[in-house]
Amino acid sequence: MLARLPAMSEHTQDSLTARVFEILRDEILSVDSGFTPQTNLVEAGLDSLAVTQLMLSIEESTGVWIDESLLTPENLENAEALAALVHSELEKA
Amino acid sequence: MSGPAVFPRRLPLTGADCFLRAFDAEIGRFNQASHISQLVLRLGPGFDVERFRELVNGAVDAQPMLRAAVHRRFGVGAPFYELAGAFRRNRPEVVVHDLEAAPADAEVLPAVFGARLNERRSLRRGELLRFDVVRYARGDAGSDLAMSWLHLLFDGAGSEHFVRWLSACDRGEQRLDELPQPGELSAATPSPKTFGERGDAARRWQSWVDGFGAHPLRSLAGPRRRTPQALGCDLITLDESQTEHAVAEAGRRAGFMTPMLFYMAAAIRAHHAVARARSLDPVSYVVPLPVNVRPRGAEAAIFRTHVSLVWFQVLPEVVDDFDALLAELKAQRLAAIKAGHIENGIDAMSFARYAPARLYSSMARRASPGELCSFFFAYTGEFLSGQSSFLGSEIRNAFHVAPVPASPGSCAAMSLRDGRLNVTHVHQHGVFSDEERLLFRASLRSDLCGGA
Repeated sequence: MLARLPAMSEHTQDSLTARVFEILRDEILSVDSGFTPQTNLVEAGLDSLAVTQLMLSIEESTGVWIDESLLTPENLENAEALAALVHSELEKA
Repeated sequence: MSGPAVFPRRLPLTGADCFLRAFDAEIGRFNQASHISQLVLRLGPGFDVERFRELVNGAVDAQPMLRAAVHRRFGVGAPFYELAGAFRRNRPEVVVHDLEAAPADAEVLPAVFGARLNERRSLRRGELLRFDVVRYARGDAGSDLAMSWLHLLFDGAGSEHFVRWLSACDRGEQRLDELPQPGELSAATPSPKTFGERGDAARRWQSWVDGFGAHPLRSLAGPRRRTPQALGCDLITLDESQTEHAVAEAGRRAGFMTPMLFYMAAAIRAHHAVARARSLDPVSYVVPLPVNVRPRGAEAAIFRTHVSLVWFQVLPEVVDDFDALLAELKAQRLAAIKAGHIENGIDAMSFARYAPARLYSSMARRASPGELCSFFFAYTGEFLSGQSSFLGSEIRNAFHVAPVPASPGSCAAMSLRDGRLNVTHVHQHGVFSDEERLLFRASLRSDLCGGA
């Protein structure tokens, strides 16, 4: 499992994008080298079970739980958009 | 494809296949019928029945899965499809019924479709699949098509893939012998767990399900009993504006990726409305939610089922408040996933492949004496998304009719087609009075369309 991230202040949206991308690529999805932080997640195979597993991995990694009702089509557009949501939730926490 | 497909002589059933086989055996023993699922296409004019028959026969010749008998050698070991001995004469029937006029009410289904749900089909003789086409002479000469199959042959997604495949073959985009190949027929990705670890996981699963016995349920049908299966189906179709509202609410309140919890909450409340009107104390509601766990990369596999189940249990006092019910369902789903119960369920079903079907179904029913669950529920998302026609005919509506044993005697299956939400409510004759069916429908519509 991935190590928990240090305090929020030490992390930018870019580093969160990298981490979310890593979780998706290595733990959640079965994707080839064409998968990028801009790839549409639903088209890449993200389903209802995978999205919950993703949220659990993000919680373990960042300490913040993203409620599934916040997961709109826009927030799941790609790893970048999802990382932006995680970033904004971390700021609120 | 580089050459003709080479099929193994025998193909063991998956754990989920065996789960469904166990209930087929139970229904055979207690209710003189089978565990049959159905897919219905309501078609416009121009459906070419002879071309359809030709395609089905071609598919059956190319694919022994469609005519294979299911056996268990000397009564031990995992049951298997006997592919090498699959007789070509065992072709699924395509029966045409000519009627004068289509029902005036679009929510009424042909009676023959209901009758097919209650037939006895033999796994041992490979009677896995059949088709009924109802043609209407008056009006615009549309048709209704039902594909009925012993449920272990396809899950919902697999049945839609099969229809899509036939359609692609009709258009010449695929060949009848192209799908699926033996590799695609193989069971789920081998588990990295040891035998002992899988045994522990199976025990955790059984103990989780047994834990529901702390608040034993009482279904509307009552415990399992010997009675002829007599399932009927009510179709409820929301119009486009009602569906738009329901889908938006489901996304907003349950989550864009997990709308099924919203729909399940509405289905629980519809059953609760009936129980309350009957002054029945249900003690608790226990509902299983099928979760598709096809191996990644095998989404297009047609045959065999790869599902696990997430079980939910809620007390009646929570059901009265829609938001509290939804929060409870969300919390229980998350807890089940965190505890690994989806994987545990796969391990448990895989272990139970070696158990006699009778033992399997008895274990599933032991938490509440003779009861299995309060009702069956399924949400399968968009039905044949992106496909507007089938063999030259417009698809006007399409949905699944899911099977249910005489106990619990009620199943609500939901799916979306062309911006309309379809609910098929399958019920054992006598479990719902006519007034209760109306009450069920009214409660469901109210919750889905904005009353909750």
